[in-house]
Amino acid sequence: MSTNTYDAIVIGSGISGGWAAKELTQKGLKTIMLERGRNIEHVKDYVNANKAPWEFEHRGGRTQKMIHDYPVLKRDYPLNETNLDYWVDEKESPYVEVKRFDWFRGYHVGGRSLMWGRQSYRWHDTDFEANLKDGIGTDWPIRYKDLEQWYTYVEGFAGISGNKDNVPILPNGNFMPPMEMNCVEKDVAERFNKFYKEHNRYMIIGRTANITKPLPGRTNCQYRNKCWLGCPFGAYFSTQSSTLPAAVATGNLTVRPWSIVTKILYDKDTKKAKGVEVLDAETNKTYEYYAKIVFVNASALNSAWVLMNSATDIWPDGLGSSSGELGHNLMDHHLGVGAGGVIEGYEDKYYFGRRANGIYIPRFRNLNGEKRDYIRGFGYQGGGGRDEWGRSIPEMSIGGAFKDALSEPGQWTFGMGGFGETLPYHENRAYLDKDKKDKWGLPVLAIDATCKDNELKMRIDMANDAKEMLEAAGVKNVHTFTSEPVLGRGIHEMGTARMGRDPKTSVLNEWNQVWDAKNVFVTDGAAMASTACQNPSLTYMALTARAANHAVEELKKGNI
Amino acid sequence: MDRRTAIQNLALVIGGAVLLPRCSKSNPSAHFKHFDITFDQQTLITDIAEVIIPKTNTPGATDLNLYGFVMKMVDECTKKKDQEAFLKGMAEFEDVPKKMFSKPFAECNKKEKEDVLKSFEKKDNSYSKELQAFYQTVKGLTVFGYTESKYFMTKEIVYELVPGRYNAWYPVKNGKAVAKNG
Repeated sequence: MSTNTYDAIVIGSGISGGWAAKELTQKGLKTIMLERGRNIEHVKDYVNANKAPWEFEHRGGRTQKMIHDYPVLKRDYPLNETNLDYWVDEKESPYVEVKRFDWFRGYHVGGRSLMWGRQSYRWHDTDFEANLKDGIGTDWPIRYKDLEQWYTYVEGFAGISGNKDNVPILPNGNFMPPMEMNCVEKDVAERFNKFYKEHNRYMIIGRTANITKPLPGRTNCQYRNKCWLGCPFGAYFSTQSSTLPAAVATGNLTVRPWSIVTKILYDKDTKKAKGVEVLDAETNKTYEYYAKIVFVNASALNSAWVLMNSATDIWPDGLGSSSGELGHNLMDHHLGVGAGGVIEGYEDKYYFGRRANGIYIPRFRNLNGEKRDYIRGFGYQGGGGRDEWGRSIPEMSIGGAFKDALSEPGQWTFGMGGFGETLPYHENRAYLDKDKKDKWGLPVLAIDATCKDNELKMRIDMANDAKEMLEAAGVKNVHTFTSEPVLGRGIHEMGTARMGRDPKTSVLNEWNQVWDAKNVFVTDGAAMASTACQNPSLTYMALTARAANHAVEELKKGNI
Repeated sequence: MDRRTAIQNLALVIGGAVLLPRCSKSNPSAHFKHFDITFDQQTLITDIAEVIIPKTNTPGATDLNLYGFVMKMVDECTKKKDQEAFLKGMAEFEDVPKKMFSKPFAECNKKEKEDVLKSFEKKDNSYSKELQAFYQTVKGLTVFGYTESKYFMTKEIVYELVPGRYNAWYPVKNGKAVAKNG
């Protein structure tokens, strides 16, 4: 056996890549995980994780140099000095925006599992059936029953804290004890849940991949709210804290950082992949790695990029393009719309500890026979908190009394923002722009996607419903907020190699296998046939574990 | 390097430009990455910050070197256009104490200095956009620097790097905030 030959190759090391590596190695497959960026070692390389706020030169802000160097990342909250190293160098790895698309990438071992939002919600059959019922896109080839045991499995290993709220639209999970609402959130939620009892609207504590009980090698959440710096306690799920150590423990895993997979090597005689070609990002040398199966987990857009660059001698638009859907149907969650206001009273109350979680309101629109002027729906994330310093009193705007007031707790506030389902549109797509090259001379992606009528109409409800519900729950001076309907900023890219029932209209089958190469599995956001409105990563984990199990069974049977 | 620059750099090295002998406005005393300011202007910003966050029985802006923080943020985190407005506003600032008290800000007493700054807090003041921007920038950054200082976060309120717990209902003691949430 050549040293470049393995049983399995996993492209990418983020949430789904880490899961693929864990499952395959635990089932005994010698596996190589290829990561295009540098290594980040758990704990040791979380260089800012133990800094106090005053130890950051600009107190966590952004410099003009950072704004200049990160023209995309600057568009939203991720650009700041506390974890700049976790975001892609935009000069080295450009892309083309035919229309504005905020693409926030992490090119390193662990990928965006280090910086993700950690909210973890199961899907419901309503979500899997939606495309079929609406006659939109392609029908999901699976239903909730196909994924249920895999949700239970990945929740148990990853560690999801949450409450069994018995919300009909949002299945309960295999939870660790929930985090607690603060005193104001408890009262707001109680009023909300009483008011909307007959309307199937619920305010619940967020379900998050922060553990509330220890797991092997991991300490329960310490309420630091510094997850995005990397957690020295391993208290939130990431590749580094969770799947990678499990995969390494099998003795079957090789991790190769600085490995840009340029193409999947397709064998037209066997109609299967035989391996991948890798460009070493440090030396610019090219290598080939061979394996019986290939898992593509490079994140939705980059997984599509790898496929588009592969087997072009047979399919000019790449491996998986025979349906004409590869790179198409690009989706995200549209957000940046909601409402907030103030809470009167509770002056003698506060809370202690920094909880990296909030409240959640599951989808309630277009259910139980309701028909709005748009289809699908949205959920809300938010929470209540107390402002950090004194009210602004004009006559006390400077001086000693002003200084003293700064250490007094301020007003209680409550706010929330919507996460809206985005429909699959064939014309929302990414494709190779061969005229523009990255640092390594590789063609870059051009992205051409927008929110359309359904999303825009939904956003009106997202603002108005938030206001109406907060007012019903006793929040005062409620104002709505809205923002430009931009895709990408949800950082939930999906759909570029969708699953389906028919090779003519989808890229992947019901087991995440590329129709045109059955030993190639795509199990990240690319596989999604629709977005629902729940945060998607938990579903990628479940899809990956399910597909890995199937892959090994098929290998054993000699089918692939 | 000419002699003047060499002396200036030396002065910065041995403990900050405040040690420099008083120099004229045409003779910059502090070099930043994007602009220079004079000794008088350094003193002005230091004085304004101290009026906003004065030393009482607890440390004030000067004790906490908030001047340094304000200037770092203006230099490194502020858009060129806003830096220009800041500098222009700063140049106009002395007109205010001159008009109100017929003397420069540095020569005003504590009450007079407070009155000068309070005139900016009035909604109907007639100051130029740049002058307003200068004052609001110094104030905003002074307050930000104060509430993000180690002193404030550990002595005025409670900051624990590792809280280790979440207490959803916590009494407010002595009217003080108990924790920084960021």
